[in-house]
Amino acid sequence: MKKRVVSAALALMMGASLLAGCEKQPEPVEFTTFAMDTVMSFTLYGDKEKCANARSIVGMTLSDYEAALSPTRENSDVFRVNQAEGQPVEVGISQLLERALELCTVTGGTLDITAYPAVKAWGFTTGEHRVPSPVELEELAGKIDCTAVKLAGNVATLPAGMELDLGAVAKGYVGDVLAGQIGLTSALLDLGQSTIVAVGSKPGGEPWRIGVRDPEGEDYFAVVELSDMAMGTSGGYQRYFEEDGVTYWHILDPETAAPARSGLTSVTVVSPSALVCDGLSTALFVMGLEEGTQFWRDHPELEFEAIFVTEDGKICRTAGLEGRFSLANGYEDREVTVLE
Amino acid sequence: MRTKIILLLLASAVAASAALLLLRDRAISSPSARITRDGVLLEEIDLEQVMEPYSLLLQDERGSNTVLVEQGRIRISEADCPDQICVNQGYISDGTVPIVCLPHKLIIEIVGHKSGLDGGAG
Repeated sequence: MKKRVVSAALALMMGASLLAGCEKQPEPVEFTTFAMDTVMSFTLYGDKEKCANARSIVGMTLSDYEAALSPTRENSDVFRVNQAEGQPVEVGISQLLERALELCTVTGGTLDITAYPAVKAWGFTTGEHRVPSPVELEELAGKIDCTAVKLAGNVATLPAGMELDLGAVAKGYVGDVLAGQIGLTSALLDLGQSTIVAVGSKPGGEPWRIGVRDPEGEDYFAVVELSDMAMGTSGGYQRYFEEDGVTYWHILDPETAAPARSGLTSVTVVSPSALVCDGLSTALFVMGLEEGTQFWRDHPELEFEAIFVTEDGKICRTAGLEGRFSLANGYEDREVTVLE
Repeated sequence: MRTKIILLLLASAVAASAALLLLRDRAISSPSARITRDGVLLEEIDLEQVMEPYSLLLQDERGSNTVLVEQGRIRISEADCPDQICVNQGYISDGTVPIVCLPHKLIIEIVGHKSGLDGGAG
């Protein structure tokens, strides 16, 4: 009898360890690709056929949008609009333009998709950086005005001398498109670290855990948990150059055509829409903490939450991130202000 | 007596599976840096085995990157790319995000060391 009990226990244990083996998460399909001026990484879960299909959708969609959105590629929609000298141009990206212009309007122009001449003047497109003179900046700021972009159906018109740059919204928009098209229920789309889209949850039902980079170092100061949610970060540390001891970063204030100095070093936006994350992280960075917080209070319809880091290292987050936000290892003793 | 033998077997089965689990974990947590250009593997370095820091010069017609290899971590310390984003990123020591030099199409990623994060933003 005793023997039977022991054998049964043995069998049970072996069975349990086998089961534990089975419960291991399925292996994802992972790949990395250069696209839209950055490196993108994809983690796809699902059966082999579905993942292969999703992978080809990702490849085709990225190459289509890259061809349409590149400001330097001849024949791209953006290039043709920028070179049209005020003439109307038929484009295939009217939906993206429309949504981007809506965001520009709602943010009061702190996000502006017509800043390309200024971005070029600072050398952020080529890496050959320079500091434009005050006179030049004033002239450049005069050319930034999203309200001058006219869109009628599929036809876009831009005044001569002005140029579009969809860099602050394109990856977010494409992230939303991909999330809707890949046909998977569990995937993580990293469109170059500044824009991340979580499709569903991880295979076991756990949320995706994404670190938020400390603007002052190499580590992650916080972790945000995402399920069917996107996230976008804008930081002064991402692209910058130094000259005569001054740091100039790539996020420009449309009003001055110069790097936005609002007292923030990083803004992260969490929202179901990657486009909103992408566009608003830039806009809130330009607005600063106080104005940005007020914008969050005033626009619940945009369904976003935000994390701000100030130049003096203060961390603030909006109340809606409760339960999804935590400080990372090594940062547990940092104070977090909850914005209500 | 028989019971004892069976118990002994049971104990050794548990020990064996524990050892297996440990071994499996160790296999997963040994971090290696994979350096690729245009997706082609240039170097794969077991970062645990690095006793003395050393640097690697990687160059082709697009330009050069100096990679600093230390125990458990790696960075690009110098590059002649215009934007210097790869240099500014500093060290990486886990697989959360890669170091990328976009102008030179160079990627350094760490495999085999998960940080408990699925990705990183910023």
